[in-house]
Amino acid sequence: MLNAFLVALAVFICVGGAELIGFTMLNRPIVIGPLVGLLLGDLHTGVIIGASLEAVFMGVVNIGGASAAEPGIATAVGTAFAIMLGKGSEVALTLALPIGILGLQIKTVLYIFIVGMFAKTFDRLAAEGREKQIIALHYGLWAVNWALYSLFAFFGILFGSDAVSALLDAIPDVVMNGLTVCGGLLPAVGMAMLMKMLWDNKICMFYFLGFVLAAYLDLPLIALAVIGVIIAISIGMNDYRMNQLAAQRVAVSPAGGSDEYLDEEEEEFFS
Amino acid sequence: MSNLTKSIPADERKMLRKAFWRSFTLYAAVSPAKQGASGFCYSLMPFINKFYKNDEEGKKAALTRSMSYFNTTITCSTFIMGLVASMEKKNSEQDDFDASSINAVKSSLMGPLAGIGDSIFWGVLRVIAAGIAVGLGASGNILAPIVFLLLFNIPSILVKYYGTFLGYKLGSEYIQKVYASGLMNILTKAASIVGLIMVGGMTASMVTFNSTFELTMKGESVLNLQNMLDQIFVGIVPLGLTLLCYYLLKKKNISITVLIIGVIILSILLSLLGIA
Repeated sequence: MLNAFLVALAVFICVGGAELIGFTMLNRPIVIGPLVGLLLGDLHTGVIIGASLEAVFMGVVNIGGASAAEPGIATAVGTAFAIMLGKGSEVALTLALPIGILGLQIKTVLYIFIVGMFAKTFDRLAAEGREKQIIALHYGLWAVNWALYSLFAFFGILFGSDAVSALLDAIPDVVMNGLTVCGGLLPAVGMAMLMKMLWDNKICMFYFLGFVLAAYLDLPLIALAVIGVIIAISIGMNDYRMNQLAAQRVAVSPAGGSDEYLDEEEEEFFS
Repeated sequence: MSNLTKSIPADERKMLRKAFWRSFTLYAAVSPAKQGASGFCYSLMPFINKFYKNDEEGKKAALTRSMSYFNTTITCSTFIMGLVASMEKKNSEQDDFDASSINAVKSSLMGPLAGIGDSIFWGVLRVIAAGIAVGLGASGNILAPIVFLLLFNIPSILVKYYGTFLGYKLGSEYIQKVYASGLMNILTKAASIVGLIMVGGMTASMVTFNSTFELTMKGESVLNLQNMLDQIFVGIVPLGLTLLCYYLLKKKNISITVLIIGVIILSILLSLLGIA
């Protein structure tokens, strides 16, 4: 009971806390593993499991608001069972991935049905200028959302690893495999959200350039950033020169009939 | 760097610091439909209260503006907040200020900054920090989590802190000039190019799909679907799915929620059919 409470507390502090104080990475396995270890009295195991799970969840990122799994609850519950049962890190490793995938589904449901319900309320409060209520709702939703989320960790530990394994076993293999596949595919939604903000038919080819450079040449992101900046600067400089040239031409010849056509053409070119 | 902060009047500096601290909670009440809208509104409140002190209607309008959809890397968010704050100031002072330009600037910047910021902070900085920390942790060094948090957070919080002031300073002095001269279009275009390249790279490295489908005849593999897909185009499934999601999101106005559920169902279907 106490252990269950402590693990739930760790989930609340780390996973909820990461959302409250700006994705400061508190919810990563390398942090939450040692914390659970500390709370349950075996820091050493916590650190080791945290490190190995961090490697497992390395590719799980939160881009554009969409993610593949929730590593926080996975690490907390996995580490707790490993320490409580004294079976070493294998327990944590086998449990963590399915719990992380399941955890993400729970988190998504909470987002949609708890916080999502209040989107209109926020708009109304803003239009009425009721700041206090906005602030209260802002923090209140956070607390409710993550308290509920932590409950899952609490019950998971309370019912014991047998119950959790039984629950995970009860989910058909084909569905669990599907959820693993989903973990790989779901970041596509996050990318699409970023693309919605960035896409412009005139520059969309750069998206494909980035893709090909990473897919075929295996260039790391930092190299892509450098290439991107070089391309952006050279195109930006060019545009800037064109812009100045256009401004000069407008200044030289006072607005006349023939210039209108020219302006239109230029506008199209720059937009 | 200290010049940057000192050139701003003391009371405004205080407000900027307040916005910086409040910006940590940007995604406290995140939802698929509005993302960090409430956090953005909350962070701007000190400014809105000050600038629209004697203008109840203006204040309500400003609160509504700041409650619009907002989604960017949290590290880059304060730059936009500083900029928006300085524009709100102008708006409260000048009657002829075009208030709609505030949200235009906000939404034109959040895309490029999200593309660049997500890839730099999630894709590069986090991976470096985690790589070092995993090495330490694997040998049981209890400093691993602390090293990880410091390596990631010191650079990102510094960028976030100075971003607030930079945005504010840039805003009140240049933004209109930049807009009038057409330079803003050039800048957002350049930033969007970097953003798109990074998002393209992230699509290739972070959206993953591996087909396990294989046709065997007499114990010999005659058709390996993944090999075949790779021969056509490496990463054709992640690319295709991402483009499809984008198309549905932008052109068909399908909501994020539906899209996420759709991907879950698609994945389970693929698994049922034995393709993945």
